[in-house]
Amino acid sequence: MIVRRRRFRLEPYVEFAKRAIAREATYRFDVFTELTSVAIRIYLLRTVWVALYAHNAEPRGLPLHAIVTYSAVALLMGLILDRDQTRALYDRLHDGSIATDFMKPISVPLSFFADGTGEVLFHALLVVPALCLALLFVHIDVPSLVVLAAFALSFFLGYSVGFLLNFILNCTAFWTFENSAVQLIVTWLTDLLGGQLVPLVFFPAALAGVVDVLPFAAMFSTPLLIYVGIIGPGRYLEVMGFQLVWIVVLGAIATLMWRAGAKRVVVQGG
Amino acid sequence: MVSGARFRRMAGLYREYWRINVLTSLEYRANFLLWAAFTLVYHGSAVAALYIMLGEFPSMNGWTFRDMAFLYGLWMVAHALHNTFFSNVDGIAERIHEGDFDRVLIRPVDALFQIIATPGQIFPDELILALLYFAFATAYSGVRVDAAFVLLVPLVVAGGALIDLGINLAIATLGFWFIKVDALRWLVLQLEQEFTRYPVAIYSRGVRLLLTFVVPFAFMNYYPAAYFLHKGDNLFSLPPAVGLLAPLIGIVFVLLAYAFWRVGLSRYQGVGH
Repeated sequence: MIVRRRRFRLEPYVEFAKRAIAREATYRFDVFTELTSVAIRIYLLRTVWVALYAHNAEPRGLPLHAIVTYSAVALLMGLILDRDQTRALYDRLHDGSIATDFMKPISVPLSFFADGTGEVLFHALLVVPALCLALLFVHIDVPSLVVLAAFALSFFLGYSVGFLLNFILNCTAFWTFENSAVQLIVTWLTDLLGGQLVPLVFFPAALAGVVDVLPFAAMFSTPLLIYVGIIGPGRYLEVMGFQLVWIVVLGAIATLMWRAGAKRVVVQGG
Repeated sequence: MVSGARFRRMAGLYREYWRINVLTSLEYRANFLLWAAFTLVYHGSAVAALYIMLGEFPSMNGWTFRDMAFLYGLWMVAHALHNTFFSNVDGIAERIHEGDFDRVLIRPVDALFQIIATPGQIFPDELILALLYFAFATAYSGVRVDAAFVLLVPLVVAGGALIDLGINLAIATLGFWFIKVDALRWLVLQLEQEFTRYPVAIYSRGVRLLLTFVVPFAFMNYYPAAYFLHKGDNLFSLPPAVGLLAPLIGIVFVLLAYAFWRVGLSRYQGVGH
């Protein structure tokens, strides 16, 4: 096959993203469920922490208002981080329509990235009503602008880690028929080992050792600990450096898998 | 009423249903193992989160990790019983919506029985895991295992499974009137899965009322566990033995849900596909 290199144009990808936003907005019931569910979870975690703090000594560096803030922000982040924005890749590999994607004059991985970005942007908008609902139950601390900026940057890095993890998992569909169970396992592990449910500073030493060598903490824990001030400005460079290392490692794995997988599709001829 | 011959026929169909279930699961072995792994991770991460929380804080309203491990075990067995034997009920609303439900009505067997006995890939892996975990949690919590305990626990978890079934059947029946009951089912499931992990006494009055009288998930594990572990929580000034009412509440809920189901069924006219 002769492929002529074309000049890169951004417009098609913007269009992909717009389409994804429109698609997500049509599922109004799902949006309602998602918002209610986040509100319920925020109420639950606040209640749980209040009960735990009421009869026990306060742990190091995390007063009640900080842990409630942590949980609320973690659940709002989940609106964005728990999405599998590259599921389309899996679906298209499954029904074979990926073959026609390769014929189009576009970069296929970029088209999935654009589609995923559109989906995530829509769900990022949901953070606003979810936040309003959350404020009915809890008070959320707002840190200084510097901390907020560091949080935003670290959150973006964490999002990239999550994107690459999802991409890698969906790439496994080049080889396997069914990976829904694996996807769910990873989602559950991310919520626990990423520190969304319970801050990683509470983990016993043995478990903390496991968490340190896994990429999940780079998604939730790092930005969250920056937000509540457990990670101070002196350590910003170090922790975000770690996040970057994960992006490089996972990016390399994703690239290798994509290349090997794409070749397979061509060899099999669809 | 179900006559003797009809009952024997249904029992035969039910045996056949389980045979197909197990055979299907064994056919897709890799897939089955992955889903079993998911079940393990799902319950494992829930218990791990409790372990970590109560490692940092020794107790929650007087409940230690040992108590809460038992609390989770009671719910897990009851819920796994529901999932193993009645999980098809959860999909009724979708079948009505898709028009697939009409197929059930043209066959000469009770509609609800057919739904419950539709072969899928149901395997008792969650139930086996739940029983093993419950045995461990019982020993670990130090609850007194006497003749009364051995006699009462099966009744309590059976009651819990019926409560689960009753609520799910009632929600599914709403599918006769409303197109989208998935959202409601999802929220109630969340209420069940996440709110039953902690002692109900920590919640505000409204939530306690909800979990005790409206969707009585608290009777699946909290009230019975408080009784077995001798917790003096005394919610709504109810006596501790109220936890033993779980089987009765389960039966009442299933009967009410079944009556509601009959009403829905008699009004059903198809979705007009």
